[in-house]
Amino acid sequence: MLRLPKFEVKNPATVEEAVAMMMEIHGEARFLAGGTDLNPNMKHGLFTPERIVALGGIEEMFGVGFDESGNARIGAMVTLAQVEQHPDLRRAFPALCQAAKLVSSPQLRNMGTLGGNVMLDTRCQWYNQTYFWRNALGYCLKKDGSKCHVIEGGSKCVAAASNDTAPALMTLNAELEFATTSGRVRMPLADLWQADGIWNKKIPHTDLLVALHVPKPAAGSRGAYGKLRDRGSIDFPLFGIAVRLDFAADGSISDAALCAVALQARPWPLKKAAELLIGTHPGQASFNDAVEKVAMLAAKQCRPMPNIPGDHEYRHLMVPVYTRRTLHAAAAGEGPVHHI
Amino acid sequence: MRVLRLHVNGDCAEVAAPEHWTLLEVLRYKLGLTGSKQGCDKGDCGACTVLIDGVPTLACLSLAATVEGKQITTIEGLVPAHRAAGGEGVDPVQNAFDKTGALQCGFCQPGMILSAKALLAKNPNPSLKEIQESLAGNLCRCTGYTQIYEAVVLAAKGDLA
Amino acid sequence: MAARDQHGSEAPWDQGFRVIGKENRKVDGMAKATGEAIYTDDIQLPGMLHAKMLRSPHAHARILSIDTSKAEALPGVIGVLVGAELPVRYGVIPWTPDETALAVDKVRFIGDEVAAVAALDEDTANAAIRLIEVEYEILESILDAEKALITPEPPIHEDRKRRDNISKHVELEFGDVEAQVSSADIVVEEDYSFHSTTHAAMEPHCAVAVANSDGRLTLWSSTQITHYVHRALARVLQLDPARIRVIQPCLGGGFGGKSDPFSLEFVVAQLAIKTGRPVKMLWTREEVFYAHRGRHPMKMHYRTTAKADGTITGVDAKLLIDGGAYSSFGLVTTYYSGQLLTGPYDFPNYRFDSTRVFTNRPPNGPKRGHGSVQPRFAFEVQLDEIAQRLNIDPIEIRRRNFLGAHTETVNGQRITSNGFLECLQEVEAASDWKARHGKLPHGRGIGVAGSMYISGTNYPVYPNKMPQAGVQLKIDRSGLVTVFTGGNDIGQGSNSMVAYLVAEELGIQPSHIKVIAADTDLCPVDLGAYSSRVTFMVGNAAIDAARKLRHKLVEAVAVAWDVAQKDVRFMDGTVVDLSAAARSMTHVEAFHLAEEMFDTLGSTGAYNTPTLGGDYRGGTIGSAPAYSFTAHVAEVEVDTETGRITVHKVWAAHDCGRALNPMIVRGQIEGSTYMGAAEVVLESHDLNRFGLHAGPSLLDYRIPTAVDTPELAARIIESIDPEGPFGAKEAGEGPLHSTIPAIANAVFDAVGIRLRHLPFTPAKVLAALRAKEEQA
Repeated sequence: MLRLPKFEVKNPATVEEAVAMMMEIHGEARFLAGGTDLNPNMKHGLFTPERIVALGGIEEMFGVGFDESGNARIGAMVTLAQVEQHPDLRRAFPALCQAAKLVSSPQLRNMGTLGGNVMLDTRCQWYNQTYFWRNALGYCLKKDGSKCHVIEGGSKCVAAASNDTAPALMTLNAELEFATTSGRVRMPLADLWQADGIWNKKIPHTDLLVALHVPKPAAGSRGAYGKLRDRGSIDFPLFGIAVRLDFAADGSISDAALCAVALQARPWPLKKAAELLIGTHPGQASFNDAVEKVAMLAAKQCRPMPNIPGDHEYRHLMVPVYTRRTLHAAAAGEGPVHHI
Repeated sequence: MRVLRLHVNGDCAEVAAPEHWTLLEVLRYKLGLTGSKQGCDKGDCGACTVLIDGVPTLACLSLAATVEGKQITTIEGLVPAHRAAGGEGVDPVQNAFDKTGALQCGFCQPGMILSAKALLAKNPNPSLKEIQESLAGNLCRCTGYTQIYEAVVLAAKGDLA
Repeated sequence: MAARDQHGSEAPWDQGFRVIGKENRKVDGMAKATGEAIYTDDIQLPGMLHAKMLRSPHAHARILSIDTSKAEALPGVIGVLVGAELPVRYGVIPWTPDETALAVDKVRFIGDEVAAVAALDEDTANAAIRLIEVEYEILESILDAEKALITPEPPIHEDRKRRDNISKHVELEFGDVEAQVSSADIVVEEDYSFHSTTHAAMEPHCAVAVANSDGRLTLWSSTQITHYVHRALARVLQLDPARIRVIQPCLGGGFGGKSDPFSLEFVVAQLAIKTGRPVKMLWTREEVFYAHRGRHPMKMHYRTTAKADGTITGVDAKLLIDGGAYSSFGLVTTYYSGQLLTGPYDFPNYRFDSTRVFTNRPPNGPKRGHGSVQPRFAFEVQLDEIAQRLNIDPIEIRRRNFLGAHTETVNGQRITSNGFLECLQEVEAASDWKARHGKLPHGRGIGVAGSMYISGTNYPVYPNKMPQAGVQLKIDRSGLVTVFTGGNDIGQGSNSMVAYLVAEELGIQPSHIKVIAADTDLCPVDLGAYSSRVTFMVGNAAIDAARKLRHKLVEAVAVAWDVAQKDVRFMDGTVVDLSAAARSMTHVEAFHLAEEMFDTLGSTGAYNTPTLGGDYRGGTIGSAPAYSFTAHVAEVEVDTETGRITVHKVWAAHDCGRALNPMIVRGQIEGSTYMGAAEVVLESHDLNRFGLHAGPSLLDYRIPTAVDTPELAARIIESIDPEGPFGAKEAGEGPLHSTIPAIANAVFDAVGIRLRHLPFTPAKVLAALRAKEEQA
């Protein structure tokens, strides 16, 4: 069996305790939420922390609640299965719940958390491998080496953001609540990312994501998530796209947001494309025309690379197809767009 | 090394284990509960599925040091629980898997049966689609799944002469 | 000799079958359902060490030196092993012994085994592995079969007679294929290819060894071939085989992936001897992908000639087979790639030219449907194309070319029972073929394919005239019958099969049978679970043993009752007197009477194949005592925008002779069909540009989940075979063959594209659809 590296496990009861435990040793420590990403990565030797700070005992990080204005607070330790099945979340944020439902397998959704999915390490076929495997080809830019095998001669890691829920949360303008050594920090999810596959977040890994805040959706807002993958379960996205459509009283689109994932290091918002939808009416030619334009623009803006497994040229061909289908699904109040 | 108090199959087991051991390693190699299988090392196959507080969970991706205080059910726990509840023989889901021929090599089946148990506890009369979706994290290489569906349907019906 | 007795296919007691043909539970089902069943990695012994393997990071390199001193110095390390300590070569085929337990002078693929460490725990063993220093001289690697064919230097295996990279070449011609070309109404000639796929049995390989102080060695191993492992251990370890015991515990799936002797078996044995402690090695999933022995990739060229009415006049085949780094079963693969295609259709003229080459890839071997799945795919697609071009219904063309029963193939294979027409009829009716083929909306289609497969082979791997299968029975005074069989139950249910046969023959309940299997100290030899031989051969041996015992039991009761032997009948554990209805006894009482009369009671039975095969070199390879036949119809949907093929349903009709337990037969048909479908649309054992497996995990090698598996409609066709055990033939491998071409042909029906190169990725489908549009 692949083994975990030797470490100690701390089980804090509060967020503050957890942050302190993270900082009090010289060596590397890691937060452990559901363990569905960190544990395989540690078995692959990608992380070798001396300490694991396990978050399962921190009550504050659990639970889903809505304030009186209808804004949601989702604890970072809420599992993907709980997100998927939560009736109020499903009503308010269909794209998010659809994305959660399409993450991996039932067991991994029972274990994996929403916070963990947002904080997911980037993925690459040259990186998510064992020590032996990576050693055999002299490692890579992201871990232990200096060469990129995706772009030969490349000096910037292009490992792909592969978290299904991140683009959905981006379209929903979610905010993240972190606990840091200097107190709580709240930041828009859109500001979290940086285009670096080695660590695609602007905060250090020692900051603890406590909760996600998702603002109340506009009345009649709709959304959907589309996911390309080979199997109907288990697989990470080969391409993912989330859509939010808000509607004016006359049924025309008043606001729209699109965000793609499984391309490069960060989730990829398609702002210009989304603007093309504003003012159009689903069910009318204006919307269908706009969808075609959006699909073409998405294909221009989304350039899959041979970072994750799968034929990247094929993935590129699927960008307009999944964009179009997901837009139509969102407009119809349907989704997810998935081959099964 | 830490002494863990694990609630496994209704018992409280005190077991000394290194902190970097997974629940699967502790179950198999410390407690001798070898019914939970290891097929893929890292969460891709479902053979190590156990129930934690009734929820299907992968023991190979769970640290033993994080599941103290939780109720852990492994495949070995089903017959004693069934008997304690006044039943005879084996658990009806296990019985159904045997009766329909769902057990070929049997390696995936402890995990599969526990996933099926959890499904039926939540949804006593699942549709074929619900069965398929609930078992979509348990890979089976022998059966093509068909006789597994038959087993779940049979267990749901309770018609196990 | 008794081994060649024909037992007949009828029920033994003139009262219909009481056990056979019923959906009896399996003998080990409950143990598996409850977690009681012990697999190899479930074995833990006091003081047991954990061993790990150092593997080559290079595809092709010479080992200049190995320094293990740092590893040996690591606290907790108890034993280290390098190739020089076990230099004797082995191979499952004795003519091609080109493997060593650990690399001696060269490594031949990334993942090849180089050294091993046994330590107190796994972490220490893993740490020690990294401390072993190996100096390599890197050699040019050959990752492509075409390149291997034309590149004799550097030879991957250096000390063979031929200095090139050709592992095996077979060219055979029956009749005159060239002569058919000018007279044919139609000639179809195309290239096809089959990619690399692997078994992915859920249980990773594991072995545990104990060397006792009396010089006896015991090995528990997740193997399908206990007997060959026994022989190979004796050879490599240079020990008296009488002091080696090999046991196969419960096995978590094989599919051919555990049919070779593997490095870990020798390594744990030698480390156990060296350290005086039990040693276990459990491979990671990644290591299983390197060990591989999966389906050989093949590049195939077929030319078929036919008359206007669809009658095949000749088939000409040229195949290039990528063998990977070692021979494994490759000699047999090369023959099978040609020899097994000559049914269920009559080929009046046939030629094949098959070449297996060595490459620096993980070694290929036997995967379910060994050697014949690939050519079957090519030929059945070609036959579909002939039907299309001649405007003949694809099922009809298969009927017209039917080979027949009790006949001989063009290459001299004896055909006995043959239920192929019934298979075709079954899937034709079940799929509503006539109303739907060619008539479904664009994007949806159905396709058909047929196939045949061997029920065992009369080629015993190492030449000998001893039985291929032996069974021993022991009677207990409790009424229990213990069956000892060398047969390997790999999940296919062979232990259950043996129990049913013995129960039927003795007229007792299966619950009174206990099966002890695959333990070389206890069980008579069986050659192993490969070539779909176990039901046929072990089954016949079981009947042979039981029948001998039955005669004694009947005689003892007849004497006690003073009736004719024909009036004694065993039925479900009760012995009745047919001449006096009121008189009966239990089978336990009968056992006591027989033991009084004959002393301690037992029996042995055996099976050997009759003389089979054509009178030419290689004529016995692929000649089986019986053949199974299959026809599938697959229904697919092609999303013309994404290129994705969804296989909705497969109707799979399989002629297994008599179904000894229809439930188990269905499971084999369904499992085979599922596995075949996965090879078309999902699975690919790919290497990257470094020659390293692109994704050696069950995340990246995508075997279907429950939501990816088509609806499987298994149909059993029973052409009772005159020589099979109660008329049975194989069911475990044959039903895979038809799946793949049936799907390919269904895709043609759905969208009019002929896909000839597996796997059918969505990208390939889209490219083919575009090419078709451009043509139009």
